[in-house]
Amino acid sequence: MLEPDIAIIGGGPAGISLALALANTKLNILLLESGGENFDSDVQKMYSGAETGLRYTPLDAGRLRFMGGSSNHWGGYCRPLDEADFAVRSWVPHSGWQITRKALELYFPKAQALCEAGPWVYDQGDAVQEGPLLPLGKGGLYTSWFQFSKTRGGVLPTYFGHRYEQDLKAANNITPYVHANVTAIRLKANGRQVDHLDMATLDSNGGTVNRFTVKPRMVVLATGAMENARLLLASNDVTTAGIGNQNDLVGRFFADHPIPRDVATLVAFGGPLAACYGSSVTLANGAVMRAVFSPTADFLKAKNIAGSLTTVENPVDLDETGTAAVITAAIALGVDASGARAYSLGCGMEPAPDPDRRLVLTGEKDALGLPRLKLNMRLADSDFTLYRQTLVELGRQLLASKAGMLRLNYSHRDQWLKAMDWGNHHLGTTRMSDDPKQGVVNADGMVHGVNNLYVAGSSVFPTYGSSNPTLNLIALTLRLGDHLKKVMA
Amino acid sequence: MKRRDFIAGVVAAGAAVAAGLYRFTDLFVKHYPPTPYDDVLSVLVDRQEAARLGARVNAAPAPGALATKLRAILKPAGLAGAVGADIAAGRLTEVDGWVVPESVALLSALAAKV
Repeated sequence: MLEPDIAIIGGGPAGISLALALANTKLNILLLESGGENFDSDVQKMYSGAETGLRYTPLDAGRLRFMGGSSNHWGGYCRPLDEADFAVRSWVPHSGWQITRKALELYFPKAQALCEAGPWVYDQGDAVQEGPLLPLGKGGLYTSWFQFSKTRGGVLPTYFGHRYEQDLKAANNITPYVHANVTAIRLKANGRQVDHLDMATLDSNGGTVNRFTVKPRMVVLATGAMENARLLLASNDVTTAGIGNQNDLVGRFFADHPIPRDVATLVAFGGPLAACYGSSVTLANGAVMRAVFSPTADFLKAKNIAGSLTTVENPVDLDETGTAAVITAAIALGVDASGARAYSLGCGMEPAPDPDRRLVLTGEKDALGLPRLKLNMRLADSDFTLYRQTLVELGRQLLASKAGMLRLNYSHRDQWLKAMDWGNHHLGTTRMSDDPKQGVVNADGMVHGVNNLYVAGSSVFPTYGSSNPTLNLIALTLRLGDHLKKVMA
Repeated sequence: MKRRDFIAGVVAAGAAVAAGLYRFTDLFVKHYPPTPYDDVLSVLVDRQEAARLGARVNAAPAPGALATKLRAILKPAGLAGAVGADIAAGRLTEVDGWVVPESVALLSALAAKV
């Protein structure tokens, strides 16, 4: 039996960042990773599950189960959540974090460094020199910026397992365990504390070879929004609804960023757009940047809409009607559009929180006997119609600046769904709220009612913003690291 | 050749040259058959492209009503003023998905109907 101070379950970006945050302290840290150093299909199969509702990425395809977790297929996109993402928005049910963005400001620089995303530039990106920015008339959207995790020889980006392997091994207080699967979190009889973790390993044929026990003082669950919910729900011997699920919230409010393709056509009257729109550019200071159109907080509030990030994708040709629209509009605006160029737009949308978009356990079990998941995936019509208003405003601002115009490519739900892709950003299944009736964990990430069990990662996001979650979940995890240092001192 | 025939020939030739020149100027300024709404449509430099766009305007009123509405819209500050006011006020119309100022959509619809 192993008896660490802290057992971190999951060797993805959250688990590794937390371990590194606690490195070289007096705390004895055990980092438990289900997979090995590299992909193993038998291990990956433990992610398989069922789906109902909207067509969605298969549950064993949108995440990876080996050291480094889903950073092993990360696209490297970084952008901090906006201040408005944390606020209570009266028009967004269930909105409002228990913390503000200010609570994360202290941790963003370190998170940025762990992501190897270069110097913090983001909304100072207007200094990008590679070609003029598309002017937008005064209004609801502004040009914002992604930054990117470092590429290596053209291969994206920071794979946390490989990148930080030596750092983890070098720390005198961290023991990474690979092929170490938690099969149950066992509570003490009073249900208020974790007593121990049931562990198992797989043999080369996918069967169990060894079961053992870890008895930590503190447990941090960092296995992603699907697996966090699964382990809590499946650990139901003391609290029969599952740990932290006394109010039937674990697994509910699952979310991902819908990324419909070719949502609109943007025409730039003045000719080709700068390179920073359709792809990334590298600044002299090393920051890798890409421009994106983002709604302002005032616009979100005025129109009662949700967040989104709209990107320029590929050059496209115009049909006869499109050509006629450009000629007619340009003449009416008194501008020369003879060199106009058209581009498709894509986006990442913030879906509204939905308690019925949820994960539940099924009767089917994986190789270690853990019940598999079933996801009920949903999107509301309003998720599309509200984002459409953002596109209309972008079109208005382009006309106002006489720089271009926009075509909205979809008006019916079926069209949106046909073009749908997903960010594979799993969010929300152990949402944060200081009210146990509204959330699974409190503002520090502690599971309500279980004082030595914490959750790290984007499963605690109560709303989702439209920024990619990695940078943000790492900042939140580093904050948890500071909290654990205090409570365990 | 009689003098009368000569004059008729010169007139015919002159007319043909004038017609040719007129068509030639189509390269620079397009000419359209007269309509009762030319006072409105004259603000469109390229009525043909506008008509192509206007054909996709949904549920446009009859030409007479369109022209009346457009005269009122254009009277204060012309097309540029109307377009600017539409954009500032968010009076936009989707035509086959294209987000255009309402005045442009109405003009295009009228161009398509004549």
